[in-house]
Amino acid sequence: MEDINKDILIRAAQGDIQAFEDVYKASSSFVYNVAFRVVNNREDALEVSQEVFMIIYHKLKNFRFESSFKTWVYRITANSAINFAKKNARKKTVPFEECFGEGAVESEVKAHMDQEHQASLVENLLGELNADQRACVVLRDIQGLSYEEIAQALNININTVRSRLKRAREKFMSLRKKMDYEKVRSI
Amino acid sequence: MKKCDQFKSQILTDYMDKELNKISIEEIESHLLDCGDCRVFFKEVKNRTVLPFQQAMRQPVPEELWDLVKQNIEHSNHATVHLENFIGKLKGLITFPRMIPAFASLILMLLAGSVALNTIQTQRYQEKDQGEFLVALLSSTGSQAFSDSSDLKTPIEHYFL
Repeated sequence: MEDINKDILIRAAQGDIQAFEDVYKASSSFVYNVAFRVVNNREDALEVSQEVFMIIYHKLKNFRFESSFKTWVYRITANSAINFAKKNARKKTVPFEECFGEGAVESEVKAHMDQEHQASLVENLLGELNADQRACVVLRDIQGLSYEEIAQALNININTVRSRLKRAREKFMSLRKKMDYEKVRSI
Repeated sequence: MKKCDQFKSQILTDYMDKELNKISIEEIESHLLDCGDCRVFFKEVKNRTVLPFQQAMRQPVPEELWDLVKQNIEHSNHATVHLENFIGKLKGLITFPRMIPAFASLILMLLAGSVALNTIQTQRYQEKDQGEFLVALLSSTGSQAFSDSSDLKTPIEHYFL
């Protein structure tokens, strides 16, 4: 996420819509991408992103610059996305097996890990995690935040970040092994 | 000496995410040179669980997002103005204009004054009535009561003597 000048933040906090547009431009890619990866679909990501920017707009006047603006945005985005994902947990994405099970393996071999496949793989691997683990993976592996930044954004301690990432990666490993097994069986 | 499981645990998280200090990194890298099993594990973790996410394409932000946010802001500002107007009207209904307490005090003072005046007048009338009554009483008993005749034989003296 890009750095934002303090003057712009102050003007945005006073209700200056032009300044708020600058805040939006600097943070929209982060907000939308985190929302998209955590809720795992475009429509919901759009809804979560709107909610995040409305929270930023209304609460910016109370922001005291005691913590970094970036961390504050990370926290609002991660919390909104996680809450949305938990609320809509029943509307789960396509199960992993449906995409990478027996039928899919042949086409997967042909696709040679092209971009489309890569995107689908990421989407489906994330779909196998719970919202908390998903947020950690997204913030770490896609957004490149450090453990400390993730801990601040999610208001948890670093060991919890570490254990969530560990469990998520162990799950990915076992899913990928299952996928390999299906691939070999189909040949 | 650390066991492979301990190295694998660190490889899965801290080493992969560059969260270790220089000494720990050197320790793990030296172990990876010697241990084929841990080397395979490291490559698997990197290629299968981390790289797909690191290489994932960033999603372009939908163009309509800013329009939606802007609409929401305008709508919420509109709602805020309405709410402020409503609160202002409500305050107007509930709170008194500044002059009302002054007028109320003045009326109270006038009322208190008139009550006091009335009481004084009533007392005066009562005193006057009592005076008239005494005069009437004395006149009915006759002026003899206060006559200064020398033999002092007034009806009162007669009564006592």
